[in-house]
Amino acid sequence: MTTAVLARPETVREPAHDPGTGKWSARYSVAIGADEPVFAGHYPDFPILPGVCVLECVRTAAEDSVPPEAAGLRLAAVESGRFLAAVHPGDVLDIELVWEARDAGWRCSAKVATGRGPAASARLHYRREAAA
Amino acid sequence: MIGPAGIRAALPHRYPMLLVDRILSAGADEIRSVKAVTLNEPWYGRLGAEPAEADFAYPDFLLLESWTQTAGLLATRSDEGSAAGRTMLFGSLRDVQFHRQVFPGDVLEHHVRLQRAVNDTLVLEGVSRAGDRPVLTIGSVTVAFRPQEQLDPEHAARNSAPLTGSRPGDTS
Repeated sequence: MTTAVLARPETVREPAHDPGTGKWSARYSVAIGADEPVFAGHYPDFPILPGVCVLECVRTAAEDSVPPEAAGLRLAAVESGRFLAAVHPGDVLDIELVWEARDAGWRCSAKVATGRGPAASARLHYRREAAA
Repeated sequence: MIGPAGIRAALPHRYPMLLVDRILSAGADEIRSVKAVTLNEPWYGRLGAEPAEADFAYPDFLLLESWTQTAGLLATRSDEGSAAGRTMLFGSLRDVQFHRQVFPGDVLEHHVRLQRAVNDTLVLEGVSRAGDRPVLTIGSVTVAFRPQEQLDPEHAARNSAPLTGSRPGDTS
């Protein structure tokens, strides 16, 4: 998958299944270096990681290791997302993921934080590829 | 029609993150723009020796960025608050659906409608199409204009207030 962000997620906690709820949870970190190409233009002399790039980091983390039942699904929607604080060069994104079966697909809920506190939250929706 | 010079003058974004090529039409609460996807975009410069066809899919979240920059262009027309020293921020989004992938050679047309404006915060909705095929539909996106000094990390460490607060009708 071609991405805007160079940094790749590192696994902090592999996806683990909670038999009680049927949910899977996992944790990743993404180190945002000052050399990310997007910083040159967002914005010159004032680098902030674009919110869409935070979402892309959530997506790459989510797709690094999906629950077995969710294998082969594709990202169909962002149900919701909220940006709480700016992400700057040198920040490390801490990404907490929870997967649950939902609406004929899977929802991946994410909480994103930096060393300064919460940065974003999002709910991604995955489902089967529609017939072309 | 407004071309690249007008777009560049209205938005603070620069290469490689200025993702709107042309404004087709713009009114008080509606705007249409064009973004052409080419193989020469920097994201494709990192592909390995033998990329698969799927690797040429344009990053989905850059489509959303391109649509949102179009929303920003509408905002700068309706909001003097976008003047120097203020930066547009992506506040929140809801019900954004990705219908199909986009590849080099595709020309996207974004359509943005203003749902409502409250002070320096705007709520927008719309769609992006490639030809007559929908690529992206946006239930709602909230953007806000904030003074740059509020975004400084030193300031952020002292002041934990979120950049976007709850607003009436915003249930997220």
